[in-house]
Amino acid sequence: MDKYIEMIRIRFLMMLAYRTDYYTGILIYSINIGAYYFLWNAIYGGKEQIEGLSVVQMTTYVAVSWMARAFYFNNLDREMAQEIMEGKVAIELIRPYNYLGMKTMQGLGEGIFRLFFFSTPGLIIVYFVFPIQFSWEPRVWGFFAISIVLSFLINTQLNLLTGITTFFLYNNAGLIRAKRVVIDLFSGLLLPISFFPGWAQSIMKFLPFQGISYTPSMIFTKGFSHQQAIAAIGQQLIWVIILILPIYVLWRVAKKQLIIQGG
Amino acid sequence: MFYLSMFFQYLSQYLKTRLQYRADVFVEFLSDLLSQAINLVFILVVFGHTDLLNGWNRDEIIFIYGFFLVPFAVFSAFFNIWDFNERYIVKGELDRILTRPIHSLFQIILERLELESLLGAITGLAVMFYAGSRLGIRIDWYDPILFIIFVIGGALVYGGVFIMLACISFWADARTSLMPMMYNISNYGRYPVNIYNKLIRFVLTWILPFAFVGVYPAAFFLDKEDWYWYSFLTPFIGVLFFILSIWLWNQGVKKYRGAGN
Amino acid sequence: MENVIEVKKLRKEFKAYSSRAGLKGAFRDLFTRNYKIVPAVNDINITVKKGEMVGYIGENGAGKSTTIKMLTGILTPTSGEIIVNGMNPHKEREKFVQTIGVVFGQRSQLWWDIAVQESFRLLKKVYKVSDEDYEQHMQHVIRTLDIEPLLDKPVRKLSLGQRMRCELAAALIHNPPLLFLDEPTIGLDVLVKLKIREFLKEINEKYNTTILLTTHDLSDIEALCERVVMLDEGKVIYDGALRELKEKWGDQKELHFQFLKKVNIKTVQNVTSGLPVEWEVDEKDQTFIAILEDRDELISQVIAKVVAAFKIKDVKINETSTEEIIRKIYEKGAVEVG
Repeated sequence: MDKYIEMIRIRFLMMLAYRTDYYTGILIYSINIGAYYFLWNAIYGGKEQIEGLSVVQMTTYVAVSWMARAFYFNNLDREMAQEIMEGKVAIELIRPYNYLGMKTMQGLGEGIFRLFFFSTPGLIIVYFVFPIQFSWEPRVWGFFAISIVLSFLINTQLNLLTGITTFFLYNNAGLIRAKRVVIDLFSGLLLPISFFPGWAQSIMKFLPFQGISYTPSMIFTKGFSHQQAIAAIGQQLIWVIILILPIYVLWRVAKKQLIIQGG
Repeated sequence: MFYLSMFFQYLSQYLKTRLQYRADVFVEFLSDLLSQAINLVFILVVFGHTDLLNGWNRDEIIFIYGFFLVPFAVFSAFFNIWDFNERYIVKGELDRILTRPIHSLFQIILERLELESLLGAITGLAVMFYAGSRLGIRIDWYDPILFIIFVIGGALVYGGVFIMLACISFWADARTSLMPMMYNISNYGRYPVNIYNKLIRFVLTWILPFAFVGVYPAAFFLDKEDWYWYSFLTPFIGVLFFILSIWLWNQGVKKYRGAGN
Repeated sequence: MENVIEVKKLRKEFKAYSSRAGLKGAFRDLFTRNYKIVPAVNDINITVKKGEMVGYIGENGAGKSTTIKMLTGILTPTSGEIIVNGMNPHKEREKFVQTIGVVFGQRSQLWWDIAVQESFRLLKKVYKVSDEDYEQHMQHVIRTLDIEPLLDKPVRKLSLGQRMRCELAAALIHNPPLLFLDEPTIGLDVLVKLKIREFLKEINEKYNTTILLTTHDLSDIEALCERVVMLDEGKVIYDGALRELKEKWGDQKELHFQFLKKVNIKTVQNVTSGLPVEWEVDEKDQTFIAILEDRDELISQVIAKVVAAFKIKDVKINETSTEEIIRKIYEKGAVEVG
């Protein structure tokens, strides 16, 4: 366990080392939140509510989903693709740890860094700039905390899956990009799932994406009732468990292929 | 002249390599198509809940998006420099570039050609024609000429901004995550900028002038007369930002530290 | 003879950032960082004449690459004067690089995915070489380097030795009067090394090409260069003939003995006691090495004593190797150039 915690720490330090990234990151996230705030204001026009969300709730939704994204987001798929193509994975496999576990920990290190140095100060700034409503109920915060940990897991699992496909495709840059735009839309980052037409919503219920952004954001903005929140968290958990299977299978096949082809 | 002939030399090499990796080109095209589709879905879903966005209707917004795709395709084909830091600075490929008798930026543009992105322009034109016919837009004789000028202007705006971003690597330890994030911001130029507040409008017009890639030039074809002034500014802003970026690049190259030290 | 390279008080400084320890330190680094200015190249002076072959040596981080990069126009010097081929490399870069050839041993100059000859064709256009010149000059280069059969293969499919020969050919497409080679033989096997050395000698004779070479492998320098420039911590510590360096520092010889029977070092030492000899043993092949001053009389004395005491399988007399000399110089720190 020590080595995994060490990995988190190293990642944390790495993130601190790239200062330009840090500053521009804060700037860019603020601009994103600002732009979507105005876009949504224009969409609401004079309407009180759309799909049960008021303008203020919508603004909160936008702010929280971007800040939560800072926590769950990582580039593990691209890193893995690069390591695999450069043949570094073979070396990683010799090391006495679980490669996928290690990658997850790296992602977690990044996430924790951004949570403390990025999301938290960012959210405070946004709170004063835009009309946002925070709930102060500990129960909401508790649910939210559980939920974003699960979003991190789902997102990371999907990244690992995409990363592993590099073993089978010569160049999966296209797939990685496609996955990213799909997640941006279907996770509910760009707009709440409840805004989609009914038939689309019923399809998306059977996909893991809404567990990434929609669930935690809806919990935070109190767009979910108590029961809905519990059900949504349960759904996230189920997806975390289900996704273990394809990762495990693909990883086994990939390792076998690696041994045969010698990387 | 020499630079033009170099362009064709590199172009022929580029075609030879791409023919080797046909499957990649196809996958890339599909993933481009997917992201374009998703952007359209966003617009469609939003207009499922409202009829007007600050006075702009659905087809107008779709038209702007279609227009945006064209300069964006031109930009992606020629300014594929989003991994400049990793490829040229960290791995030291710039050393090689600098020992050759062609302007360094021009060499990088030539080496990184990605002409398959131009396919996106076809999608863009299709979207424009679809929305344009629903809006009943007439095409005058001068429209195609202005369209080309605006497209070049928009592509130069994009090119200029991203070259300047790449230049950051000469001075600071920025990694590439900056560039993908910037793509997000560039998207906001696709919406009518009058929905934003003054500050963001100012940024999108004069600082990161992405509005000149989407809404400003497209407004001309949508007969939004209030916006004509901005529409005609497009090529000038494009040239200005591009010249600025080359100047910055030339300064940056002097600061290049080399790799592996 | 005209000077091809003229460098006066050339200096390049880098900012070296140091991170503070621990998480708290790293967080403070976000706002202010500690750095100090390190001179990688520290006020060096070098002149190279046309047609010279100069070996540029030094340990890792001594400033070799940095100097080469300034001479080729890649890096801008912090201060100092630098004139190469009559131009300031960085200021007139595009015109200047037309007159030089560069090979970086660890980095490819060729395009990875396309066939070697395609790369050549492209470079031919880049350097605006006429068809006649290309035919006349490159035919010869291609034949001498023996790369004819490699021309239609993509670079990524070549072995290191094959690639290196192609790199060298690529650097010579415009027949530059000045050639920079940064570690051109790194990782190559002996045969390829020999071929490359022979080739370099040939173009030096044929076109009077000036060659500046950095290498870890001193045998390259022994084979090619009459002159060496030695660098340590950004300073030139020796600049002169390789021969002189050897005469001045190579005042010792080594006698290598192998005996028929197993022998103890102590007994060997006893045999030559009283004489100024140091003994070393190479455990692997049971070779006993006597290191002594280069005096004929002393050498015969030692040999006579040893041969009288033991049955001999093999004897060799070696001069101190260049490597040994270089090591000694670095240990001492500087050479008084006399």
